[in-house]
Amino acid sequence: MRVELTNITKLFGPLRAVDDVSLTIEEGDFFTLLGPSGCGKTTLLRTIAGFYNPDAGEIRFGERLINHIPAHRRETGMVFQNYALFPHLCVFDNIAYGLRARKIPKPEIAERVGRIIKIVQLEGLEHRAPSKLSGGQQQRVALARALVISPQILLMDEPLSNLDAKLRVSMREEIRRIQKELGITTIYVTHDQEEAMAVSDRIAILNRGRLEQIGAPTEIYYRPESRFSAEFMGSSNIIEMEVTGWDEDHSRIAAKTAGQTFSLRGDKPSGARIMISVRPEWIRAVAGRRDGEDNILSGTVLSSTFLGSMIRYRVSGPGGKPIVIEVHDPEEENIRKNGEILWYQLPPDRSLVIRG
Amino acid sequence: MRKSFHAWNIILVAIFAILFFAVLYPILYIFKASFVNPETGAFSLKSYATFLHYPYYLRCLRNSLFVSTLSTVLTLAIGIPFAFFLSRYKIPGKNLIRTLGTLPLILPTFIGAEAWLILLGRNGLFAKAFRGIDVEIPSIYGWKGIVLVFTLQFFPFVFLMVSAALNAIDRSLEEAATNLGAGRLRVFFTVTLPVVTPAILSGALVVFYLCIENFGVPVLIGEDFRVLSVQAYNEFISELGGSPSMAGALSMILLAITLSLTVFQKYWVERKNYTMTSLNPIQVKRLRPLPTFLIWFFCAGMVFVALFPFAVVMVSSITKTQGPVMYFGQFSLDNFIRAVTIAPRPIINSFFLATTATLIGIVFGIVVSYLLVRKRGAVSYLLDILVMLPLAIAGTVQGIALAATYNKGFIVLTGTWMILVLAYFIRKAPYSIKTTSSLLQQIDPSIEEASINLGVPPVRSFIRVVLPIMLPGIIAGAIIMWVTTLAELSTTIVLYYGPWATMTVEIFQRIGSGDFGPASAYATILIISVLIPLFILNRVSGKDLASSL
Repeated sequence: MRVELTNITKLFGPLRAVDDVSLTIEEGDFFTLLGPSGCGKTTLLRTIAGFYNPDAGEIRFGERLINHIPAHRRETGMVFQNYALFPHLCVFDNIAYGLRARKIPKPEIAERVGRIIKIVQLEGLEHRAPSKLSGGQQQRVALARALVISPQILLMDEPLSNLDAKLRVSMREEIRRIQKELGITTIYVTHDQEEAMAVSDRIAILNRGRLEQIGAPTEIYYRPESRFSAEFMGSSNIIEMEVTGWDEDHSRIAAKTAGQTFSLRGDKPSGARIMISVRPEWIRAVAGRRDGEDNILSGTVLSSTFLGSMIRYRVSGPGGKPIVIEVHDPEEENIRKNGEILWYQLPPDRSLVIRG
Repeated sequence: MRKSFHAWNIILVAIFAILFFAVLYPILYIFKASFVNPETGAFSLKSYATFLHYPYYLRCLRNSLFVSTLSTVLTLAIGIPFAFFLSRYKIPGKNLIRTLGTLPLILPTFIGAEAWLILLGRNGLFAKAFRGIDVEIPSIYGWKGIVLVFTLQFFPFVFLMVSAALNAIDRSLEEAATNLGAGRLRVFFTVTLPVVTPAILSGALVVFYLCIENFGVPVLIGEDFRVLSVQAYNEFISELGGSPSMAGALSMILLAITLSLTVFQKYWVERKNYTMTSLNPIQVKRLRPLPTFLIWFFCAGMVFVALFPFAVVMVSSITKTQGPVMYFGQFSLDNFIRAVTIAPRPIINSFFLATTATLIGIVFGIVVSYLLVRKRGAVSYLLDILVMLPLAIAGTVQGIALAATYNKGFIVLTGTWMILVLAYFIRKAPYSIKTTSSLLQQIDPSIEEASINLGVPPVRSFIRVVLPIMLPGIIAGAIIMWVTTLAELSTTIVLYYGPWATMTVEIFQRIGSGDFGPASAYATILIISVLIPLFILNRVSGKDLASSL
């Protein structure tokens, strides 16, 4: 089922928790709402589930406008952050709850619950009380309970945040596997960018209730549109520059900052200043300045962290602002100590320019 | 969503209407009446002037403050060591002592008073025995008897609050003090005692409140020693039919005291409470035999002395009696036979009224708890205050206010059984609201949302998911409501009329006329009716009900 949001706004008093958000989630997509706490991602999810009424905008499931459909008739399956298992019901009854509400005949309930229990690998625990389950098992019950009603849309609100780090990784692979197996349109909320990249087909980055960027994980990582996207997905060096010229034939921008000149790939800049975002691992350590090569700079090493396969330097950049550089598989004799000079090159052929 | 929003608003308005007519308006009514000259009907300060002018009235106030202060000090003197011994040292039969030790809280105080009259009253068993050997024992009548009964019945409050605070102290706290070089006594006086001080203060305020609002004990055992609650009742009876101006004035003075105690407790003492999450409770120490015995003797002895009166009443009920003369040693079931065959009406009345009030209270409690916890809004604060307000009003005062307000005019309730049910449920619902709302608070709202999300509409989701989880709290609250209603005297005595006399009224009147045998029979039925549900619940849920009072 396709989900379409048009100009959704949700107010809490004077606060615009969700501010004019429009997006489309395609059938079968694993779609993630990503952002820091308070960015409006959970509010948006709860609005889709029907627990909040939007103050403006339209929500469509397929062609159908569902703004005025109450939460219990939206046919969505939701997995809550704290699982929200019914403590007075056993695993089987928890999972069967939604089927019983739909007056499904008994044998069919047993058959469907049995099938979903197999999918989430909870065999043998049917009659346990939720309090007697581990965190990972509770998570599976919550997932099974949401899936067994064959919802059109699966909604997940930070489902992994209560698990320990190791379990989080294996559960997210599991969730991804089950989602692909069932082909169900899924909207997933998280603040963890690594988790988002690992599971999602597409990601929407939210900041203060507004949409920053939508795209596949690779798209957002390689081509962040805004400073917020760049810094929230992975880490990035942001440098502001002054535009000095534009070469229309080769789509190249000439720019400078702190006496350094740069040559960058990009469309015609709209103003006199541009901002670029450079990932630490995109910067190469080089031997020194060479003719015919652009964007080579030098800086003093301020600090360094040696991590075996990689070394991370903080180097004084143009204008004195520190720049983070990651050198993978460094040669031992090339490692620089604090206070030494390091030559490095910003990638000349990647698109680095972002919107402010 | 919109629709359910409207539904909740209608319920909210209905709740406020009930609270207004049952609590606020009657209080305002006697407040106004206290400023009216009963002869002319004009505004007047005469009642208050009378109060200040005649030493008789001022003495009532002084007496009230005196017995309450003295009883509070004594309950602290017993309750604090009691709590400390029980939570820190190994004592044989500790659990039994703890369970029995909380019973006096639930047993009606005026039955305690009756027992002491049977023992030490003019025709009392001990009094006669001592007279036989020519020993004069101090009279039980007057302030001494009142203080005795109050102390024995209310010290468990101090014990409960202080031991809760003591058990919440993490071991590391006292260990830290020891590690910094403090000796045992220094640790106690510089760490342990200051940390439990808010609990001690809370306990003291609660006890003081219970003493000053009590009606049954001073009226039965006080004789010429008049206190405010008794005098307000007397004035109300003598002003019956007229404007309750003097009763109103005395009620207002009593209300001012109880209200300020409650406000002080809620907004000052409770805020001082230290919240600790005790990870490692302090280890229970084993003392040498002699100190262990002394501690055991103190604790078990206090429990024995506190419960002894109730055993006396139960024994009296199966003793042959003739008016105030009891033939101990000669057993007879006459008292019960008479109670059940000749005058069973009070028993039926009590059960009917308590059950009706409890059923209404359960529904009221669930709805108000839901409003307070889940539908928090601008008026939640006001709702919270209004619904808890009856806890700060003396039973006598509430009775007088209701009786005076609904005596004539638009709605006449005085003289019907409905006014008793109204008074009971409005006064006891706070217990139910406390237990249910604290449970509701622990239930994550997403549980309800999960049910809605799975296709069950909101109201049905509440019934199918939240209600079952809340059930233990609802049952506990209902039992507290039921047993305290059954044992209620001070409001009932003002509001009942002839055919609707309850067991408590019957017991009270029989004691007054020296008819101890039948009084004891009713009292025994009452005691057993109170203990059985508590016992069952204790077995089923292991819950200490007295702690929810």
